[in-house]
Amino acid sequence: MKILALDTSGLVCTVAVTEDDRLLAEFSIQHKITHSELLLPMMEQIKDRISLDMGSIDAIAVSAGPGSFTGLRIGAATAKGLCLALNKPLVAVPTLDALAYNMYGNDNIVCPMMDARRSQVYTGIYTFVPEKENENQHELKYRMKTIMPQAALSVEAIAEKLNEIGKTVILLGDGIPVYRDKLDELLKVNYVIVPALSNRQRAASLAVLAGIYFREGKSQDADSFSPEYLRASQAEREAKEKKRAQVKIRAISAEDITEAAALEKENLGSEAWTEKQLLEMSTRDDSVYLVAEKSGRIVGLCGVQNVSGEGEIFNVSVARDCRKNGLAFEMLTELLKKGEEAGCHSYTLEVREGNTPARKLYEKLGFVNEGVRPGLYDNPKEDAVIYWKRKGTE
Amino acid sequence: MDKTNKEKIERRTDEDGVIFMSIKNGEEDTERKEDGKDITILAIESSCDETAAAIVRNGREVLSNIISSQIALHTIYGGVVPEIASRKHVEKINGCVRAALAEAGCTLEDIDAIAVTYGPGLVGALLVGVSEAKALSFATGKPLVGVHHIEGHICANYIEYKELEPPFMCLVASGGHSHLVHVKDYGVYDIIGQTRDDAAGEAFDKVARAIGLGYPGGPKVDKAAREGNPDAINFPRAKTSEKSYDFSFSGLKSAVLNYLNQAEMKGEEVNKNDVAASFQKAVVDVLSEHTMQAAKEYGCDKIAIAGGVASNTALRERLEMECAKNGMTFYRPAPVLCTDNAAMIGAAGYYEFIKGNVAGMDLNAVPNLPLGDRERRYHGRSSK
Repeated sequence: MKILALDTSGLVCTVAVTEDDRLLAEFSIQHKITHSELLLPMMEQIKDRISLDMGSIDAIAVSAGPGSFTGLRIGAATAKGLCLALNKPLVAVPTLDALAYNMYGNDNIVCPMMDARRSQVYTGIYTFVPEKENENQHELKYRMKTIMPQAALSVEAIAEKLNEIGKTVILLGDGIPVYRDKLDELLKVNYVIVPALSNRQRAASLAVLAGIYFREGKSQDADSFSPEYLRASQAEREAKEKKRAQVKIRAISAEDITEAAALEKENLGSEAWTEKQLLEMSTRDDSVYLVAEKSGRIVGLCGVQNVSGEGEIFNVSVARDCRKNGLAFEMLTELLKKGEEAGCHSYTLEVREGNTPARKLYEKLGFVNEGVRPGLYDNPKEDAVIYWKRKGTE
Repeated sequence: MDKTNKEKIERRTDEDGVIFMSIKNGEEDTERKEDGKDITILAIESSCDETAAAIVRNGREVLSNIISSQIALHTIYGGVVPEIASRKHVEKINGCVRAALAEAGCTLEDIDAIAVTYGPGLVGALLVGVSEAKALSFATGKPLVGVHHIEGHICANYIEYKELEPPFMCLVASGGHSHLVHVKDYGVYDIIGQTRDDAAGEAFDKVARAIGLGYPGGPKVDKAAREGNPDAINFPRAKTSEKSYDFSFSGLKSAVLNYLNQAEMKGEEVNKNDVAASFQKAVVDVLSEHTMQAAKEYGCDKIAIAGGVASNTALRERLEMECAKNGMTFYRPAPVLCTDNAAMIGAAGYYEFIKGNVAGMDLNAVPNLPLGDRERRYHGRSSK
C-alpha cells in the first residue's frame, strides 16, 4: 500500500511517500512560511527521485487540523486536488495525533503543543500502549491511546491536566519554544523536550498513522473534506460575542414563570412542566433555577435540585432562535457553579437518547453516560439516557 | 444583440445558502480550430467570495461555467469576511471542478491546460484555487497557467463577442478595481488610468451602506437609482488633473456622506432614491467621460467594459449612447460574465497558454499583483 502524505499545518512543510513498511521518501523544510511555493516543488522532486507512478498511490494523507488557517487550506486544497485528479481516497489525520505519533514506542505521556496565539496552544494528550498478539510472543506492538483529544487550551489548562496525570511527559511541537518558561513554571511533573530529530510535524508519521486509519476503513471522500480549525473566524467570534452580550443569565423570579413555562411548552410539547409545577420547584429551598434573558424575553431555562449533595438537573431549555451559540453551555456552567455553592458535589440528569446536540453538550460539560431508563419519554416513545458528573472524574 | 437569452443559466441554492450557477454558451461549435486542434482549458477562480470553475475551448467557447457564490454568508457582516470566504472555498472547490467537467462532458484527460487566478485578491482565498490547480496540474501532468484576475474580466468580452479583437479601450470597474486599460494585443495591457483612492464598486458599497440599502451595494444602488432623479443633487465630479485619466471617488463618497449628515442635522427627510440616482450619475459621468476621451486620444474605435460595475445599467446605457454618437462599437459582457467567474479566466488563460506563458509548481498567490506586469507574473523559476 502506497501513501502520499503532506502536512502544512505549522512551521514545517513536509511530504512523504510510504509503501507498506518502507519510507520511500520524506522531504521536510522548516524555513520561513512559504508553503505555497514549497509544497508542490517538493512533491515534484520526490516524484522524480523515486520515479513515482502517481497512479500507484492508494491514498492521499493530509493533516486534518488544527494549525495555521492558511497552512491548513494549502494542504487541504492540494490534497483535494490530488484526490480528484488521481481518483483516490483521502485520509485526514488530526494534526496533533500525527505529531504525537513521532514518539511511537515511548511509554511516557506524550503531549504535543502547537502555538495557537492568543495565549493558547493546540494540544492533546497521548500515550502508547504495548500489546501482544498472543502471550507466547515477545514482540510488542504499540497502539496510540488518546487520553485527551486535540483542543485549543491555555497553557495553564494543559499544564494542570498534565500535573493531574502526574507522570513524566514528553513535550514536542512548535508551541514548546514559545511557552517553555511558562511550562517550566507550571509543570510539577518531570518533562522531556524532544530534540530537533522529531519535534515537529513529519509527513512520515502522518503516512504511517494514515496507513492504520486506511486499513481500519477510515478514509473519506475528498470532495466534502474541510479542515478542522478548532476555532471560528474572528468575525464569527465577534458576531457571536456581540449576540451573547445581549443575553443575561440570572436567577429566576416569580414574574418569569409564565414565560419560562411557555418556553418549555414550545420545546417539549406535552412533556413540558406546567406553570404550577415550575413555580413550586423553582421556589423550593433546595433548588436553584436560572433563566437567560434577551431584550426582555426569556430565552433559556435550567434548574437543579440538591438531593443530599447530588444535584438533579431539570428543565434545560433554550429558545430555538438562540441555539448553537454556546448559551446552553454558559447557562449550565453557571448552574453547576451555583449548585456547588448550594452544596452539590455530583450532578445527574436524563435526556432523550436521540437528542444528540444536548448529549454532546452534557459530554462537553463532563457528564458521563451511566445507563438507560427504557421508555421514559412519550410522544414519541423513547429511552432516557442517564448522565452523571461525579466529583473528581473530570 | 443581447446574448444572455442564448445562454443556459441554471441556479440552485445549497444547504448553506451558497448560490450555485451553471452557464454555458458553447453548444454551437462554431469556433472549432481549422486544423482540428482545439485547446480546452479548465479554469479556476477563487479570488474573493465566489468559488468558480469552467471549461473553455479556444478561449471563447464556454462549455461550462460553474459559480458557487457565498454572498448570503457575508451579507450579515456587511461585506466579505476573508477567513469565512477562504474556508468556504476549500469546501466547495472540488465540487465546482467536478461540476464544470461534468457539465462540459469532459474528463481531465480532455483538458490541455489548467488556468488559475493567482492575483490580485484575498490571499487566503486565492491560495485555495492556486493550491487546487497546482495539485491537478501535478497529478495529471497538464501545464499550469497563472491568470491575472482583471485580465480575466477584460477577456470576458472575448466570450461575449466572438469577433472582438484587440486593440480596444477597456474600462474595468469592480469592488476592488477601477482601471482604464488600453488593450493593445492579446495579453498586452497598458494601464492609462486608475483610481487614486476608492474603487468605483467600493464607493457604491459605502454609499449603499450610508443610505441604508445594505450589501452588496452595486445592484442595490442601481435599483434605487431607477426610482430617483439623477439631477436632484449636484455631487462633485472629481478631476484629478486635466491630463490624467485617473479616477478619485473618495471625495464623491464624502460629499454623499456630508449631504446625509447635514440633512439629518437639519431634521430633513432624505429621498434615498434621489441620492442613489445623483451619486450614480456622478460616478457614471466620470467613468464614461474618461473612457471616451481616452478612446479618442488612443485612436480606438472599440470600447469594452468589464468587472462587476460593468453590469450597472446606467453606465451601460451611457456608454452605449456615447459610442453610438462617436461612431464607436461598444462591447459589454452579459451581467453573469461581469461577476467573478472562471470562464473569463479560461479565456485569458488561453491567450497566455498559446503564447507559451506556463507557470511552475512554485506559483504563489500574489494579492496585489499589478495588471500587465510581466516581471512579477512568474516570480519563481519555472520547474518544467
